[in-house]
Amino acid sequence: MEGNVIRAARYPFLPEAREFVSRHIDLSLESLDKTGSEAALKRAVERVKDALILKEVRVTPQHESNYVREMLSFPLAIILVSAISNEYIRRIYSLGESRGAYKRMLRENDETLLFIGERLGVRGIMDNNGFIKISIPTYLNLAYVFHEHRWKLVNRIVDKGYVWVSRTEYARLIQVEVNNYVYEKTLEPIPVTVVPQRLKEAMKTIIETWNKLEESKPSHAISEEAGENPPCISRILKRMEAGENTSHFERLVIATFMIAKGKDIEEIIELFSKQPDYKYNITKYQVEHLSGLRGGGKKYSVPSCRTILANGLCYPDEKCKGVKHPLGYGGRSIGGKPRVS
Amino acid sequence: MVAGVLEASLEFLKREFFKYYYENLDRLVPPGPIGKREFGFFLDKKGGMLRHKCFNNLKDFHEFVLKEIPLDIYVSAARYEDPGNRDMGEKKLIDAELFFDIDAESAALDSDESAWICLKCGKYDYGIKEKCPACGSDIEYLETVNEEQLNKALKETDKLVRILTDDFGINSNSIHVFFSGNRGYHVHVNQEEFLSLTAESRRELVDYLLIQGFEEKKLIEVLRKKSLIINDLKGVIGRIYRRVLDSISSGKNEVVYTKSRLLKYINQAIEELKVRIDPVVTIDTHRLMRMPNSINSNSGMAKRAIELKKLLSFNPLREAVVLGEGEVIVKVKIAPRFKLCGRTFGPFKDEEVELPAYAAAYIVCKGMGEYAGG
Repeated sequence: MEGNVIRAARYPFLPEAREFVSRHIDLSLESLDKTGSEAALKRAVERVKDALILKEVRVTPQHESNYVREMLSFPLAIILVSAISNEYIRRIYSLGESRGAYKRMLRENDETLLFIGERLGVRGIMDNNGFIKISIPTYLNLAYVFHEHRWKLVNRIVDKGYVWVSRTEYARLIQVEVNNYVYEKTLEPIPVTVVPQRLKEAMKTIIETWNKLEESKPSHAISEEAGENPPCISRILKRMEAGENTSHFERLVIATFMIAKGKDIEEIIELFSKQPDYKYNITKYQVEHLSGLRGGGKKYSVPSCRTILANGLCYPDEKCKGVKHPLGYGGRSIGGKPRVS
Repeated sequence: MVAGVLEASLEFLKREFFKYYYENLDRLVPPGPIGKREFGFFLDKKGGMLRHKCFNNLKDFHEFVLKEIPLDIYVSAARYEDPGNRDMGEKKLIDAELFFDIDAESAALDSDESAWICLKCGKYDYGIKEKCPACGSDIEYLETVNEEQLNKALKETDKLVRILTDDFGINSNSIHVFFSGNRGYHVHVNQEEFLSLTAESRRELVDYLLIQGFEEKKLIEVLRKKSLIINDLKGVIGRIYRRVLDSISSGKNEVVYTKSRLLKYINQAIEELKVRIDPVVTIDTHRLMRMPNSINSNSGMAKRAIELKKLLSFNPLREAVVLGEGEVIVKVKIAPRFKLCGRTFGPFKDEEVELPAYAAAYIVCKGMGEYAGG
C-alpha cells in the first residue's frame, strides 16, 4: 500500500493518483477556497515554476513522503495553468512534467516501468533480452514527434504487429504520452471569474515568474500581423531577414518547413542569403539533402512542436492551441479537388 | 472516366450499367456505417464530380444509383460525424480505413501494337512517334489493360498482404483485396487499432513499405561485424539483411566487402523488397475509394473483391467483366489488341465491328470508338 501511494505521488498523472485525490479531497473550486490545502497549493506553484525555470518538474523523496500534498498539487497546478490560459505556459508546463517523469522512470525497475506504461495506455511486453515490444499503432501515435531516423518504423525491428524498443526508448514514448495528457488537461477552460481568491494569488505568482523570465530573454516580439506561418517560423524568418546568425536547428526547421510547404529550392536558398556564413553552393547542397534530392533520398520531416519547444524556439499564439506540429498551424484545410482511387 | 464520348455512346453505357446495377444491387454494399460515409459520383461525361453526398440508408443509396446510373461511384475511406458537410474540417473525421493502391505500370511501347492519338488534331495511328506527324503536336499513347503488367501488380499486392499480416500483425479477415476494374489493385484494411492512425502515422507505414528513410549505415555496421550473425532479425531490416547476406555468399569469397559494395547490395535488396504502393493514397485519410462491385468507367469492368487464398490465381480480365454479352456495333477509330473474358479482340482501325457489349463498352470507355447501334 505504502509503495503504491509513493508511486502515485511520484507520477501524479496515473489514474490511481486521480482516484486517491477524488476519494480524499473535494476538488471543486468552491471548496478549494476553504480546505486546508495551503501546502498543496504552494507545491502546485512550485511545480509550474520548476517547469518555467528548469523545464523539468522535480519530485524529491521528501515530496513523495508527503504524498497527499504531492498528489493534490498536480491537479491544482493543472487548474492554475488552465486558468492562466497562456499557450506557452501550457506547453512548457506539460513538457516539464513529462521530462521530470521521464528521468524518474529511468530509475524504476522493469515491473514499475511497464506498470506506468500500461496505466497510461502505452502497453509494453518485455522479452527475454530486456527489450520491450509495443503495438505498432501505439508506437506510431507517440514516436511521430521524434525527428531522428532511428525512430522511423522502417528502422525498427517489427514483427506480428509489434515494434521493439529499448527500456530508455520506452520511457521516452511514455514521456510523450504524459506530455500529451498534461497538455490536454490544461486546455480545459476555466473562467477566471470562478477561480477562488487564493488560487488567483497563486496564478499571480506564476505570471510574475514568467514575466521576469521573459524580460531576461532576448526580444522575440512578433508583429501582430497574422501570417500563414506559425509564430515559431515567423520569428526565425524575421531573424534571418535581419541577418542574425541562426542556429543549426533553426535553419533545419526553416528548410524542412519550407520544403514541406512545397516551396521551390531556389526560393528556400534565398531565405538563407543574409546569413553571415552564407555560401550558395553549400546551402543548395544542404537544402537538397533535406528535401531528399541527395544522399539516399531521405526527406527530412519538420520537427514537431514538442521538439521546437524543447529547443527553446516555441512562441505560441492563440492559433497554436491544440496544434502539435507546425504544419498543422491554422487548421489544415484539405479540400478542393476530389482525390479518388 | 469517359470524356468526350458522343451522346449515343453515353446512353449505351448507361443502359449497360443500369442492367448490371439492377441485377446486382445486393452486391453494391458500401463499408458501414453508411450514414457516416461521404460518397462521390461522376454522373456525366462533362467531368465535375458530385461529392459530399451522403445517405441515411442502403435503400436511398441504391435508389440513387438506379436513378442516376453514375459512371463511377466512390465512397470515403473515412467515417465522419457530418459526411455531407462541404468543409473538410467540419466533416469531423472519426477514423478511416487503411487504404492501399498498387497500379500496374504501362506496357513497353511496341512498334506494331502501340497506338497513339494526337492531342491537338485528333489524328491517330499505330506505331511509335515522338510528335504527331500531321501537325507536330504532342501525342498520347492509348493504354489498354495489359495482362502481364497486371500480373506484376498482383504479385506486388501479394507482397503487401504478406507484410500487412507478418509484420503489422493485421488479421487476414481485416484485409480486403480488390481489382480496381482497370489498371490496379486496392487493399482496404479495417482492423480496429489501425483506423485512428493519423496521416503522420500512415506516412510511417508508407515509408516502411517503400523502404524510405532506411538507415543503411547501421546495417553496414552490423554486416561488417562478421561475428554477429542475427538470423532471426525481424521485419524489413531482417529481410534486407538476409538478402545482402545472400548476395555476399553468392559472390566470390575473396572479395573484400567495402562500404560501397555493401551499400550497393543493400540498395539492390531495397529495390527488390519494397512494395510499390502509391504513397499519397495511403497517407490521405480523406480519400474517396472506388466503391466495391461498382463499374469503373475507364474500362467498363467492375471493382472486384479477391479471395486472399486465391490471390495469385485471380484473373482480372475474366472475373471483372460484368457487362452483357449481347452483340452491338461500335465504330472504332483505333483499338490495339486487348483480351477480355478469354477472348482476344482487335487490333482495329477505322472500322465498324460487332462485339459483345462488354468489349464494346471497353472500347467506348477507353475513348477508342463510339457506339453505332445494337
